[in-house]
Amino acid sequence: MIVRAAVCPSPPLLARDLTGRVDVLPEMREACARAVSRLLAASPEVVVITGAGPATASWDPDGRLDLSRYAPALRTHGKPGLPLSLGLGAMLLDMVGHAGPRRLQAVGEGAPASECVQLGASLAGIAPRVALLAVGDGSARRSSAAPGHLDSRAAAFDASVERALHDGDMAALVSLDRELARDLLATGRAAWQVLAGALANGDAPDVPRGGATVPVGEILYADAPFGVGYLVAVLEPERIS
Amino acid sequence: MAAEYDVGLVCSHAGGLPPRTRPFRVSYQDVMAEVLGHVLGLAERAVRAGVEPARIVIDPAHDFGKNSWHSLEITRRLGEMTATGWPVLLSASHKDFIGETLGAGIEDRLSGSLAVTAVAAWLGARIFRAHNVTETRQALDVVAALRGDLFPTRAVRGLA
Repeated sequence: MIVRAAVCPSPPLLARDLTGRVDVLPEMREACARAVSRLLAASPEVVVITGAGPATASWDPDGRLDLSRYAPALRTHGKPGLPLSLGLGAMLLDMVGHAGPRRLQAVGEGAPASECVQLGASLAGIAPRVALLAVGDGSARRSSAAPGHLDSRAAAFDASVERALHDGDMAALVSLDRELARDLLATGRAAWQVLAGALANGDAPDVPRGGATVPVGEILYADAPFGVGYLVAVLEPERIS
Repeated sequence: MAAEYDVGLVCSHAGGLPPRTRPFRVSYQDVMAEVLGHVLGLAERAVRAGVEPARIVIDPAHDFGKNSWHSLEITRRLGEMTATGWPVLLSASHKDFIGETLGAGIEDRLSGSLAVTAVAAWLGARIFRAHNVTETRQALDVVAALRGDLFPTRAVRGLA
């Protein structure tokens, strides 16, 4: 079952080397490091990283992000084709010194909610103590300077995700609209729904029954400094019975 | 004297003209070969006289004993000087060959000077005498980034 879960964003600039001589958003990277450290503090047997990819697939756990795709001059080569979200998640685990088992699980960026939830439930069951890191972003249409320009629905969409994570409202994550998320260029939608499936135990038969739990969330960072919604959060599954 | 006082030494192809005189109908079979032969000869003589090699730089000396065609040629072929391993000093800012190339007066040679600076840096020149220090430094930083020797100051575009 899930002992703790975290949400982190996936801009390439999270990789310190990609921003050049000046650090960009160090406070966001520090928030991510705190969130991932909290995952490890829950003594998981395995850390699962999930994030959007071209298709639902498990990747080699030794895979690392191919930074040279973004900055050829760095000549830092990684796993060809490894999705950005998984590569950045792996980087965050490396950053806080996690040497234990990890699983890199891509979820198809267009996967319907039911599929995401099912994937999450099965990931929760791969070990008695699983930590989950869901990597993805809110809308890339938060401002007129945003990559996808301004969409007036973007702020409300991201706010609803932030509220759901804060309140541990997994049903709200599951009901996020796939078409709206796609329109808003919100790459995190599928990963958040995997997280919802993993934390909402009891729905899947292969999840160990240990009494009902309700997740309690804490937001460590929420902002859109470049017009893309970035969220860092930690979720604790709290036993209620 | 340079050996005795441990000072730096610039070995220039000054063209052998007395100060304040100008080249008069100079011609060379191969101006770069002439420049190389001269400055390498000076450098070797200095080493023999006891000058520490790390204190020696070589300088093609644009405009000195050269017409504008000659100065363009030594810039184009500056890689032959940097290939010797001696640090190359470039002292071309605002010079007449830039003015003649552009048809520009002394006050209007910044762009041309920066172009020469950039090409020379690309070809490996290491020291630059400049009038417009800020602009020259910016041009050199961009060339260093183009060569991959310097990372951008702050890269965010497309990475958010």
